[in-house]
Amino acid sequence: MKKVLLVLAALSVLCSSLLFAGGTKDAKAATGTKVINLWSFTDEVPKMMDKYKQLNPDFDYEVKVTIVATTDGAYQPALDQALVAGGKDAPDLYTAESAFVLKYTQGDMADYAAAYKDLGINVDKLLRDAAIAQYTVDIGSNSRGLVGLGYQATGGAFIYRRSLAKQAWGTDDPKTVQSKIGPGWDKFLAAAAELKAKGIGIVSGDGDVWHAVEGASQKGWIVDGKLYIDPDREAFLDISKALKDKGYHNDTQDWTDAWFADMKGIGPQPIFGYFGPAWLINYVMAGNSGGTKPGEGTFGDWAVCQPPAGFFWGGTWLIANKNSPVKEAVGKFIEWVTLDSSNTGLQYFWANGTLNGPGGTKDVVASGTVMAKSDGKLDFLGGQNMFDAFIPAGDFATGRNKTQYDEGINSIWRGQVREYTSGTKTRAQAIADFKKQVADNLGIN
Amino acid sequence: MGNKSVSYAKWGYIFSLPFMLVFLFFSLYPIIYTAMLGFTDLQGAGRRTFEFLANPLENYKLVLTNESFITSLKNTGLIWFLNFIPQMLLALLLTSWFTNQRFKIKGQGMFKVLMYMPNIITAATIAFLFRNLFGYPKGPINDLFMMLGLIEKPIYFWMSAGWSRGIIAFIQFWMWYGNTMIVLIAGVMGIDPTIFEAAEIDGASSVQTFFRITLPSLRTILLFTLVTSLIGGLQMFDIPLLYNLGGPDQKTLTASVWIYNQAFSGRYFYNRASAASMVLFAIIVVLASIVFYILRDKDAQKINRDRKAFKKYARQLQKEAGK
Repeated sequence: MKKVLLVLAALSVLCSSLLFAGGTKDAKAATGTKVINLWSFTDEVPKMMDKYKQLNPDFDYEVKVTIVATTDGAYQPALDQALVAGGKDAPDLYTAESAFVLKYTQGDMADYAAAYKDLGINVDKLLRDAAIAQYTVDIGSNSRGLVGLGYQATGGAFIYRRSLAKQAWGTDDPKTVQSKIGPGWDKFLAAAAELKAKGIGIVSGDGDVWHAVEGASQKGWIVDGKLYIDPDREAFLDISKALKDKGYHNDTQDWTDAWFADMKGIGPQPIFGYFGPAWLINYVMAGNSGGTKPGEGTFGDWAVCQPPAGFFWGGTWLIANKNSPVKEAVGKFIEWVTLDSSNTGLQYFWANGTLNGPGGTKDVVASGTVMAKSDGKLDFLGGQNMFDAFIPAGDFATGRNKTQYDEGINSIWRGQVREYTSGTKTRAQAIADFKKQVADNLGIN
Repeated sequence: MGNKSVSYAKWGYIFSLPFMLVFLFFSLYPIIYTAMLGFTDLQGAGRRTFEFLANPLENYKLVLTNESFITSLKNTGLIWFLNFIPQMLLALLLTSWFTNQRFKIKGQGMFKVLMYMPNIITAATIAFLFRNLFGYPKGPINDLFMMLGLIEKPIYFWMSAGWSRGIIAFIQFWMWYGNTMIVLIAGVMGIDPTIFEAAEIDGASSVQTFFRITLPSLRTILLFTLVTSLIGGLQMFDIPLLYNLGGPDQKTLTASVWIYNQAFSGRYFYNRASAASMVLFAIIVVLASIVFYILRDKDAQKINRDRKAFKKYARQLQKEAGK
């Protein structure tokens, strides 16, 4: 027993020395009152802050940036601890991703969020002027009003290969393709059969379809505190099974090598399209298309049209700490990022890809006003104006079917769907095990 | 005459003070705090205040009736077993080779460094590496198997319980056999070389030397490796979490991953996680005690018993002589 204690003690010394090493890094001395602590999970918002300070030289706040990646779920525990601990190192401004934003706007951590109107922002007027996509407002609002907004609109479209559309249906016109694959999943599966006859898979993996199914369902996972399986989501079991059994996809999981390979068109069978918002095109597909200008790889061979069901995927919301001593300054920055629809607002730069000089990446933004005066033509899409497809996509998206536990529940659900489609379990067994595991892990029945 | 001997004892206390302080604040306090949380209602993000439950064992009841937790305990045991047996066998084999005076293996230092190497790489890196190696439908291992004509269709390694458990056990084995080997070699070095010489002169073979001399003399070191491996193995966390998040279908969910999920993802059940941690602690204590009992020094105990019996006998003789 003595030895066990010794080993334990030795281990604990090791751990505590690690703790010490980790602690000193964060403990930068804070001086003065003009400090904004900014917490985020990427360098996107911190870079906007740099630009804002550059545009407004009289904004003389020191910004201390803390970036924690969301991988391995490290961001949320760190942010929660910092918010609860309070004090001068507490975050004044923090960001939340769509997968967990509800926790910070409406869920367990919503108490820390400041209402935008308390930050000196004229919310109602600006929302109207900027014509912000409604689903981002829904997600960012609670009983105290609006507490969080994003700058992107992440409504999803169907992004397909022009050459494969011509091969299958003799045309690459978005209107025609749109009417072939939707609306509704029956038409989508019928189109999949037609494509399969020409040796083409309609999607890379069932994960692509899931984002659309999840986003289009009527209700979320939890209704009145109880676990609820929306019929649309339950139908995903059958869609996924059909895709797998009939070989309509290459059976990949999103964010794996095989999934990226299909963007380049080098999978076992060519893949017709992906479901996704504008950021998927800019930040993921363009880099994995095997080229940088039309003619190379699949670059330039893509186009966008309306998906069989409306959805949104991803996005970053900005939230201010209601205990922050620098609310007004934070409010000015938030207004510039989320609600300023002028030609010097962030979203104008963002939409036209001019934040860091001309020729940057264009993206779809939350403000309809900004989109209307911006140019969304992309070489990657063969010169198509992507805003034509993404502006209506934002209208179809809804934020009312999300819950703060979606990340965990989705992961369990997707796992059980895979158990069913791979033939390990029956349909009923997969649903039963899904319920069991949600109850075990989250205490939701 | 004054007694002027110098006491060095206080230096012992002074030198151990830093450790004691660090231990008290950063280890003992958290352990006691964790034990306490198991009896409270502390759950939910951002909460700091808590109350003790009316029924103090409620969390323990919830945890012990949670099927996922029971599954995770079984998985932990299975994966530990799958990794420990081959790890011990290989480490012993390598130890006997490296310490054998007759073999005189060249480049021992290099081999030892290379075999220890996997232990230096971060677990996260290794888990990620193996996840990509066993990718589906494309991945180096699948490509290799197809090229060799072993399989016709790619294997969905991530979805197979057997493969996933096997791969995680292999990673654990591969990361730790070098470490175990170094400890065992150090143990062999501590054995009196004259015993080996005597065995050699008496004409004992390598195998005989190993089983009759090396192994029995290593018992204390074996006990040490067994207990440390038991503690480390039952707390197995990073590899299963990062390889496949405990999947597929909870087949590689270990107790520590379950505890982590309870406490830090989803609903923030700090109280249940604490209770589960204490259950795990109790299991480790019980198993470690069993190991200690099995590997106790039987000779020393026998000598002790004999001595007591002899004393008793001597007293009896004295009594009789007194009569």
